[in-house]
Amino acid sequence: MLTIKENLMETINGGNPDRFVKQFEFMDIIYETPLDRFCEPGKEVTNNWGITFRWPEGQIGQFPVHDDEHKVLKDITEWRKYVKAPVITTADEDWAAAVKHANSVDRSEKFATAFYAPGIFEMTHHLMGMEDALTAFYEEPEAMHELIDYITEYELAFANEIVNRLHPDAVFHHDDWGSQRSSFMSPAMFEEFILPAYKKVYGFYKDNGVELIVHHADCYAANLVPYMIEMGVDIWQGVMTTNNTPELIKKYGKQISFMGDLDSGVIDFPDWTQEIIDREVERACRNCGKLYFIPCLTQGGDYSSFPGVYEAVSESIGRMSKKMF
Amino acid sequence: MSTDLINAIADMDDVKAVELAEEMLQKGSNPLEILSGCQQAMEIVGKRYENKEYFLPELILGGEILKKISQVVKPKLETERSEDKKLGKIVFGTVAGDIHDIGKDIVVFMLEVNGFEVHDLGVDVPSEKFVEKIKEVNPDIVGLSGFLTFAFDSMKDTVDAIKAAGYRDKVKIMIGGGTVTEDVKDYAGADAFGEDAMAAVALAKKWVGVEQNVK
Repeated sequence: MLTIKENLMETINGGNPDRFVKQFEFMDIIYETPLDRFCEPGKEVTNNWGITFRWPEGQIGQFPVHDDEHKVLKDITEWRKYVKAPVITTADEDWAAAVKHANSVDRSEKFATAFYAPGIFEMTHHLMGMEDALTAFYEEPEAMHELIDYITEYELAFANEIVNRLHPDAVFHHDDWGSQRSSFMSPAMFEEFILPAYKKVYGFYKDNGVELIVHHADCYAANLVPYMIEMGVDIWQGVMTTNNTPELIKKYGKQISFMGDLDSGVIDFPDWTQEIIDREVERACRNCGKLYFIPCLTQGGDYSSFPGVYEAVSESIGRMSKKMF
Repeated sequence: MSTDLINAIADMDDVKAVELAEEMLQKGSNPLEILSGCQQAMEIVGKRYENKEYFLPELILGGEILKKISQVVKPKLETERSEDKKLGKIVFGTVAGDIHDIGKDIVVFMLEVNGFEVHDLGVDVPSEKFVEKIKEVNPDIVGLSGFLTFAFDSMKDTVDAIKAAGYRDKVKIMIGGGTVTEDVKDYAGADAFGEDAMAAVALAKKWVGVEQNVK
């Protein structure tokens, strides 16, 4: 029987896996990295960029607040006046928990995985709101290029600390690039603004010993896959069924693998049932096949919104492995 | 020429579009014709969005161009005619328990720039607030938005509250959001669901008896 790590590599390299990869099992994700302040349920927090997030009771995540009072970037043409990158901590004590975690990972079995969020596109709309950001790509392209360069430089500096301190084998990086049915921007606009930034960031990680780039985007982004390949993504996590995953695997499987096809919205809700999970897992596994595919909830982490769902999905994948391998 | 204006808007040339509108006004064109050209242009933009030639930035920018031209044209219209131009009234909001606003804001924006008077109640709106607003403004349409699966129950509760208050046969109800489907529409008791902003506009126009011009 292959180890978890070997089985993953066989799957994404088109070899001979002996079972399905169970969701995030191959990544030991180091969430302790001193990234920024994240909001807790029922609370409000202003992070180091000045962006205010709220997490109202009963919701499943935090949301940036963009009323006139809270919007950080009020005028893209004057972004330098409004946007100040935080100082990246180099204090050993701030990194101690992450370093301890990284050192504890059995790297023969799993990938020690650095976590990074929010992504570069997400940062633009966290700073100024989605409508302003999307309009600015069109109306103030120069300023947007400058702002993206600024955010990218910050991320590269942070990546440098991550690499030097954690020596990760993989990076799990968030950046949602679309809605469930469409990418937010055209492929041409993505190529102009977003691709160069990620070529720098993912290129830096690859040049510094990172073997796997796992990019999270739980949306439609089938039209952006060629750019994901170009920027160095090895696994696209969060691929929703609206992308026609089997078709993507057929077209791009040898260059990138797809992790998802189990839409969290369909499976992960308060009255979830084993029947729905089994139905969806079987559909995904049979349609997508054994290679270049990792069945996984589309949510961006090794957990579910409602208790028990993540574990039940993993068990269901185990049963499908017995049927199909 | 109106065709030039339509093309300028549809091709996202905002500067040229506003200049053309100003020029047409100076040459004595009817302001209503200019606005009608804008509507045609937005229908082309919507069609290109549906065909994935255009994406959200174009949809939003198209709306912004329309707003700018409206500002140029409106002073030339008689006040009462300008008011009459509204195609219909819509009460809109994200239902109780859900605070997603991006999709809802884009739909509201597109409905407004397409000539509807929209009363946006915001997010996490309790059913009684919808009923209050319906009582106050007497809308043609109610729009319920929700991204989360547990918003479906809130949609149903809201439709039930509208029914209980005696307004159900006076309004058309549309729902929309990430995972909304025909089944959810039936479960909630709404009249229709829209997959995106342009679908909402098309639906609203159909319900108030305005035909889309572009195929």
